[in-house]
Amino acid sequence: MTAMIQKGEEVLRVRKLFRKTRFGFFALFGIVVLSISILSISTVSRELRDEYVSNSESIAKNIADSSVDILLNRNLATLQSLIDQFVQIESIRYIYITSDTGEFLAHTFIPGIPEEILASDPSATEAVERSLPGLGDFVEVGSPILSGVAGTVHVGMDLELLGLKIQRAVGQQIYLLCIILVTGVLASIWLVNLASRPLTELLEYVVTLAREKESDGSTHGDVLVRDDEIGDMARMMQYVADDLAFAKDEGTGPGGGD
Amino acid sequence: MTTRIGGGGEGEARQERPGTMTRRSLVRSGLGALVAAPWAGKLGAAGAHSYPGRRGHAAATVQDDEIVLGVSAAFSGPSRGLGTELYRGSMAYFNHVNENGGVNGRRIVMKLLDDGYQPDPCVANTIELIQDESVFLLFNYVGTPTVTRALPVLKKFRDQQVYLFFPFTGAEPQREPPYGEFAFNLRASYRQETAGLVDNFLSIGRRRVAVFYQNDAYGRSGWAGVREALARHGETMAGEATYMRGTQFGASMRGQVEILQARSPDAVICIGAYQACAAFARDAEDLGLHIPVANVSFVGSENLLALMREGRADADAHTRFLVNSQVVPSYEDTSLPAVREYHELMARYDPPPPDNVERITPGEPYETFPQSFVSLEGFVNAKLITEIIRRMGDNPQRSGIEEAVFAVRDYDLGVGERVRYGPDRRQGLQMIYYTVPEGERFVPLEDWGGRFPIS
Repeated sequence: MTAMIQKGEEVLRVRKLFRKTRFGFFALFGIVVLSISILSISTVSRELRDEYVSNSESIAKNIADSSVDILLNRNLATLQSLIDQFVQIESIRYIYITSDTGEFLAHTFIPGIPEEILASDPSATEAVERSLPGLGDFVEVGSPILSGVAGTVHVGMDLELLGLKIQRAVGQQIYLLCIILVTGVLASIWLVNLASRPLTELLEYVVTLAREKESDGSTHGDVLVRDDEIGDMARMMQYVADDLAFAKDEGTGPGGGD
Repeated sequence: MTTRIGGGGEGEARQERPGTMTRRSLVRSGLGALVAAPWAGKLGAAGAHSYPGRRGHAAATVQDDEIVLGVSAAFSGPSRGLGTELYRGSMAYFNHVNENGGVNGRRIVMKLLDDGYQPDPCVANTIELIQDESVFLLFNYVGTPTVTRALPVLKKFRDQQVYLFFPFTGAEPQREPPYGEFAFNLRASYRQETAGLVDNFLSIGRRRVAVFYQNDAYGRSGWAGVREALARHGETMAGEATYMRGTQFGASMRGQVEILQARSPDAVICIGAYQACAAFARDAEDLGLHIPVANVSFVGSENLLALMREGRADADAHTRFLVNSQVVPSYEDTSLPAVREYHELMARYDPPPPDNVERITPGEPYETFPQSFVSLEGFVNAKLITEIIRRMGDNPQRSGIEEAVFAVRDYDLGVGERVRYGPDRRQGLQMIYYTVPEGERFVPLEDWGGRFPIS
């Protein structure tokens, strides 16, 4: 009975050891996934936003370059037609063109120009974030027309759409990492099990061997036929056990007489 | 969306399948090319005094028995009334011409394509009309955003000398470089219309003028006209509000009215299409903005009035602040020969809407008007183009169009104003007329101060 309890405790100890190993694997993978996710969110957000602003600036510059003759010819209908074509680009939500005196010459706002825009500096060209009630959040860039003496083009890009793009990009990466995490954990469990099973068998054999010595029962042969290190260890243990038993019988062993 | 139909009505329809070419038309084209080649060079050189660089290259349009005019206009969508009425007015006159032997033995036929008042379909239609249909000229286009985008196509095909005649828009792009050389206008410009409205409002003490406009090239053109006119008087715009092209009468214009109400204007000038402008005038009245609401000619006065009066017991009171500028005289003014002829021919033919147009938006019923400013404009457009083609003689070629137009000097069209063209004058008429609703019709406005007194 004592031996059985001892055997059970030994097996439990081995399993705990491997459970810890599995937990270690899981924790390690989790940390890797979390770190990569945080880095990814940060990188993707920054790069997409930079790209967004860069595209806005390119579009604003494009409009500014195309507008010079149109503005100088006072052809505002054509100017409006021009910005109407650009505002069809998915991420662009509004465009407006101001004169050198700050007058709004063409714009795409409906039903009117928001007060926040009316109150802003019409010649500003640096990227600014705007929150327009009823319209949403935007990043706005400007580009001077004829170095500003003919006016300024302002392009507003939808931050909500940018957010969605970031979410989509990051989501895809996290999805991939999660698949890797789950696959990794499952693989580690399988590998640990693969490694732990013969060890458990060895332990069981050693316990059986000890018990046989007590009860002189049948031998446990499965583990002895293995051709790996576990088999070698089992055979070595059997050899040592047999040697000890022989020495004991002969009275030369540790358990024998003088 | 390109569509193709025949001319419709009274046997003027031309219905060919896209891209088909009969043996007869091939022979015609080939012969036409042989005949036209020497003419083309000669006439091209003769016409080079205003816009050098043109080369005669238009032989394929010569037909034995007909002259085809290409039309891309709104036959569906919220502005279908404009394309349809313009077409009906022109058809009334062309039917009359064709019944009487045509022009120098050739019938005049319109090839109609629907663009729904949208720029991209208009561009595609224009390319189709030039490349596939080889129309003699382009005629009766409707709208600024459409025409503005079609003009570069004409420039692209400049070697073929395709001209756009009498577009239903008063915008500047087809009147100025770099595209003015590809179009001939008959009607006065929005700049003239808005200047007239501003001048009249200011003359009766209504100095705070605001603008409600369609947020596209058309609206901007009118907006710019109001701005310039106010600047000449040392005034600036009291306020502005916009709407999106294609807005229907059922839409709320409350936001736009409130924006303008906050600016306390004395008058509002609308640069829009009839559905949106009717919605704005309705909501302005309902929300207590009791000031004159002016519309320019493009609005389609009868369509606007019909929408505003529909189902209202107080229709007269509801429309009392409307004032519309027109670019043709009142169709009530039968003292004018062209108006008498218009009445007679509209009554005789009563052209139906083109029923076989492949429309962008199908299934929209349309009720015609016995007379309207838009159909009268279509009628005078047809009258003048017929005269120009007649002046081109027995063998009209595209290369001779410009010269024929410039030969129109002090021509009496019967509208109370003589028509004159020249290298520096590509707009035939200059007059603006002001009208107000009286019952179900618009009548001339004589007394601005009496109609819109400042309380």
